Amino acid sequence: MAEVRLENITVSYDGKNNVLEGLNLKVNEGELLALLGPSGCGKTTTLRVIAGFIDPKDGHMYCDDRDFTRIPVHKRNFGLVFQSYALFPHLNVYENVAFGLKLRKMDKVTIEKKVTEILKVCDLTEFKDRLPKNLSGGQRQRVALARALVIEPELLLLDEPLSNLDAKLRLNMRVEIKRIQKKLGITTVFVTHDQEECFSISDKVAVMNGGVIEQFGTPEEIYTRPKTEFVARFIGFENFIKLHKVDGVLECADGTKISVDDSGDKDECLLTIRPDDIKIVADDYKGENVLCGEVVVRTYLGKSYQYETMTPFGKVVVNDASGTLYNTGDKIRMVLDKAKIVLV
Amino acid sequence: MSLGRYLSFFSDTYYLNIFVRTIRVSLICTLVCMILGIPTAYFISRTSKKVRGVLMAIAIFPMLTNSVIRAFAWINVLGKNGIINQILGIFNIEPVSMLYTEFSVLIGTIYLFLPLMIITLVGVMENIDNDMMEAAESLGANRIVAFFKVILPMSVPGIITGSVLVFTGALTAYTTPQLLGGPSNMLMSTLIYQRAMTLNDWTSASVIALIMIVTTLIVMKGLNYVASKLDKRGLE
Ligand SMILES: Nc1ncnc2c1ncn2[C@@H]1O[C@H](COP(=O)(O)OP(=O)(O)OP(=O)(O)O)[C@@H](O)[C@H]1O
Ligand SMILES: [Mg+2]
Repeated sequence: MAEVRLENITVSYDGKNNVLEGLNLKVNEGELLALLGPSGCGKTTTLRVIAGFIDPKDGHMYCDDRDFTRIPVHKRNFGLVFQSYALFPHLNVYENVAFGLKLRKMDKVTIEKKVTEILKVCDLTEFKDRLPKNLSGGQRQRVALARALVIEPELLLLDEPLSNLDAKLRLNMRVEIKRIQKKLGITTVFVTHDQEECFSISDKVAVMNGGVIEQFGTPEEIYTRPKTEFVARFIGFENFIKLHKVDGVLECADGTKISVDDSGDKDECLLTIRPDDIKIVADDYKGENVLCGEVVVRTYLGKSYQYETMTPFGKVVVNDASGTLYNTGDKIRMVLDKAKIVLV
Repeated sequence: MSLGRYLSFFSDTYYLNIFVRTIRVSLICTLVCMILGIPTAYFISRTSKKVRGVLMAIAIFPMLTNSVIRAFAWINVLGKNGIINQILGIFNIEPVSMLYTEFSVLIGTIYLFLPLMIITLVGVMENIDNDMMEAAESLGANRIVAFFKVILPMSVPGIITGSVLVFTGALTAYTTPQLLGGPSNMLMSTLIYQRAMTLNDWTSASVIALIMIVTTLIVMKGLNYVASKLDKRGLE
């Protein structure tokens, strides 16, 4: 088990454009860190730097305070799970899992003991003689995990390991990975672009954008308190309203006053809030943070209706589960939950 | 045609020598093509698409010239007054007679069939994902070990196909061994030609031909057996 640090990592594939730009990251011992971000933001690149496949142009990588930057992949003892699983097609499940142990020149009995044990943990015992091509997606995924775990790696690296699975299996495997990771207490970096997956599995989250980390924190922090517009948008904040300060009070463009707990020290900022945190209220409602809008689109979401409304300062999206139906063109009043408003 | 004809072929030392030499040359040729072809093909398969096209063109290039011309090119290189002996002469080394030996036949056939091995292997190896190598490395294998433990076994189908092509090619090659080997290093194909066209002995010629076909089948069967041992996926 180890603590991993990236310091000032800069990576360029073509020598001109930097894909990672002075990236800093720390994963504590035994923690599961999720790297979250849109396609092309550099998640895989970051993971490959940690694994040792990419030589950074600049910066260092430390594992338990040892400089690992120049240590070749095969000497790092990190377990890797690829998006494609990368199981060896010519070897059966047992041999795939035993591959790393055989390279470590362990004796047959020890190998057999360790492999049998990990196959049991990963629920694969009955498949040990099968070739990878005769396994289902979820089973292959578990073999890949078992193969990476059996070498007792310092660090486990997973690159979108669940993206090839169907929705139900994804959910199961997510819980499974979390369970095994906690049981073995192994430091883990998990790459994903799925925010739900990310929040449910991780101890810490690093949201990446364009080769830099936009925000780092616990899942709760990121979910409730995004620090930048990018992070807010990425994790499901859909409403963005420009505010400016008049005599120390925040106002919308049309003069509607907005009351928040901490109005910050900037003269202009962006208010953001999730559609779930806005309520539709009656016309005679008296209170703070009320906006008026006209319904433009109504979408049925199952447990609620989503209304896209037009207000004097732009589009506002609200989810309403009250059961009252509003039609296109209706004028409605909405109240923003003061505690859920985030300023970025 | 009775069984006796076949038995008398194998009891005649003149024929038997030619038979053994043919098999030996074909096997050595196949083996050398394998040893040279596997790393070359792997290297080519790992390059970018653009570079791979160029390298493949270079690899195939020898196949684009007529085999008689290629044989004469080798005569110019290996002959008594050939390039090699001229270079040796500069260092006052006695000329070596390399032409009209089994060695020159081997050089000629290897040069002839190596491209076949490379093309076949590149076809198989370029479909092996780089993930495989990386997975092996992450599990503790350096590149060389990873190559032998993962890439090589995964290439077995290609190696077998390439070997069958090279072996049958070398076994039946006519012009090259004829021109580079001379009469003292005669191979089976030349023997057939001589029996049929020169001596008009069609019976012997067809006996030899059948023996060659059976030999090819046996070798192919043997290679498939080896392959099934090496590769549990089987050769579907
Ligand atoms: N081998 C490569 N050569 C050149 N550019 C590359 C290479 N690999 C990745 N890139 C570029 O680097 C950037 C980051 O890529 P990376 O694969 O790290 O993204 P990612 O966050 O993993 O995206 P995804 O979610 O789509 O997997 C992208 O713009 C990509 O085009
Ligand atoms: Mg990726």
